[in-house]
Amino acid sequence: MLDGITRRIERTRTTVARATVLPLLVRGGIALAFVLALMVAWPTALTASRYVVLLGLAGVYPAIAPRGRGVTAAVLVVVGGWILDTTWFDARVALWRVLSIAALLYLGHTLAALAAMLPYDAIVNVDVVGGWLARALLVVLISAVLTVITLGLTAELAGGAFVIATLVGLAAAVGITMLLGRLLRRP
Amino acid sequence: MRTAVPLQAPAADEGWAAPAWVPTRALGRTVLLTGLLLVLGVALGRVDLVLLAAPFAIGAAIGLRRMPRSAPELTVDAAEEHIVEGGSVGAGLTVANPDVISYDLVVVRTRTSPWLELRDADRPFAITVATDGWTAVELPGQATRWGRHDVGPAAARVAACGGLLACRPVVTPARQVRVYPETEPFAATEAMPAAAGLVGNHRSRRPGEGGELAGVRPFAPGDRLRRIDWRVSLRTRDLHVASTLSDRDAEVLLLLDVLGEAGASGGVKGRASVLDTTVRAAAAIAEHYLQRGDRVSLMEYGSSARRLRAATGRRQYLTVLEWLLDVRADTGDQGPHEHVFGAHHVSSDALVMVLTPLVDPRSADMLAGLSQSGRFTVAVDTLPAGVTPPNRSPWTPIATKLWRMERENVLGRLREHGVPVVTWAGAGSLDLVLRDVSRLASAPRGR
Repeated sequence: MLDGITRRIERTRTTVARATVLPLLVRGGIALAFVLALMVAWPTALTASRYVVLLGLAGVYPAIAPRGRGVTAAVLVVVGGWILDTTWFDARVALWRVLSIAALLYLGHTLAALAAMLPYDAIVNVDVVGGWLARALLVVLISAVLTVITLGLTAELAGGAFVIATLVGLAAAVGITMLLGRLLRRP
Repeated sequence: MRTAVPLQAPAADEGWAAPAWVPTRALGRTVLLTGLLLVLGVALGRVDLVLLAAPFAIGAAIGLRRMPRSAPELTVDAAEEHIVEGGSVGAGLTVANPDVISYDLVVVRTRTSPWLELRDADRPFAITVATDGWTAVELPGQATRWGRHDVGPAAARVAACGGLLACRPVVTPARQVRVYPETEPFAATEAMPAAAGLVGNHRSRRPGEGGELAGVRPFAPGDRLRRIDWRVSLRTRDLHVASTLSDRDAEVLLLLDVLGEAGASGGVKGRASVLDTTVRAAAAIAEHYLQRGDRVSLMEYGSSARRLRAATGRRQYLTVLEWLLDVRADTGDQGPHEHVFGAHHVSSDALVMVLTPLVDPRSADMLAGLSQSGRFTVAVDTLPAGVTPPNRSPWTPIATKLWRMERENVLGRLREHGVPVVTWAGAGSLDLVLRDVSRLASAPRGR
């Protein structure tokens, strides 16, 4: 057992010694995005209490294991916190919160996709991370515009939010189905 | 009726066969989260949940608008030019993208021989490759030991469509870099024991057309007029000619004892193992004699008994270097048989230089046999100084000491047989010995 611990310590030391800057920054970005998303989504009553440590752990875990299911779990924890805050704690659906949660979740998700492929000791060209972030920002920008327009429309059509959500949801569901069908049919 | 040739697989499968582009966990996550958030949004009547799903859906739509069709092409480039150990080596990895989409991330890595110190070759490289383009990773470095060294196999893993699709690893076989041994400076000035040919650089012991003055003798019919020594003729008032010794070439056989390897090689700047010394000394001796116009042949004393027939010139020197790259220690128990190697393989006029660590008793027997059969034999001791076997028990140092004493005994007996044994030390290390051998050669032969 002692041998096992010594070997693990040695392996960790080698990992730390070989690690390069950009993969570490990418993993740091994942942790930052999820922790911020958790802070924004979860009710202030909980984020100000000692439970914040648990939330922090849930946010940092995807950065440590970006290849596992931790990323999906972290996103679900954020969404759960958001639903909890807006239903149980009866918080208002503020535009800035929806925008920032959507942007941070997508950033965390796409950086995890990058980190899953990127070895910790790789020599990374800056244009790999630069191009990746540029694509992510483009997606975030398009979805932000969509969010602003949609929330504006729902504010004008007060009371019709349910109908709009249903319509948008159905349209998106059809879109996703078509997308998946295309993906499977076409090489 | 069935056709003789099996039908081709449907064309639709072509894209998913090699190369197999597979969905990543990120694509699975995108689909799951988008679906879940949409269902929740519809079920709870919450438009904000639909909006949280929007970036995932948009990201997938942008990423998957064009799909990859072909495999990335990975090539390993290695220097083809003449590299001597200690010299610089240029290697590289090139990833080409024949596809219509750009590769967002290519992780490429390679294995290399421990004797090639290539910069950052132990790390993976993360690069991007544009549509219908290529990106190269340079691996400059240094070759630290002679031999054929591998650069590769190399592998590349590609992510495209924003990390939603990944290609299965593409592996490329290794390329070999030929690193020639560094020739330690060697210059033997002494005469060859026996010159065999009619032309060459060595002064023979027979009079003839040559450059070395043998003496002055009275003119005889048949002597060339330009050989007349006018000073002596005037003084003696009789015609005298300067007689010269003829120049001859010789055959040098380098016999490489590969029965065992001893000592750890530290590369060109570190300690030399037995094979290092053997190969470098063989290259130096061959270079020296080939430059002088002699014929050099090589032979391995081991179970494989490789041999290179005698030839002369620069072409032979390059062949010798190429031949030396494949020298390996003979690890099998099966020794060289008499019918594979025997004194009859060695020309009677050749100077035989045996490069041996004299660790295996068969080597000493072979040397004694060569000497007894009347070959001009010189043994070059290639055992590194201070080499000891691994310390396995408290008896190892004493056993090593005993073995060393026994080895000294063998060396003494070889010298008694008339086989000079010298330790290889570069320039001039063989001069004294060659002088002795050529003196022996001038004596009447036979026993």
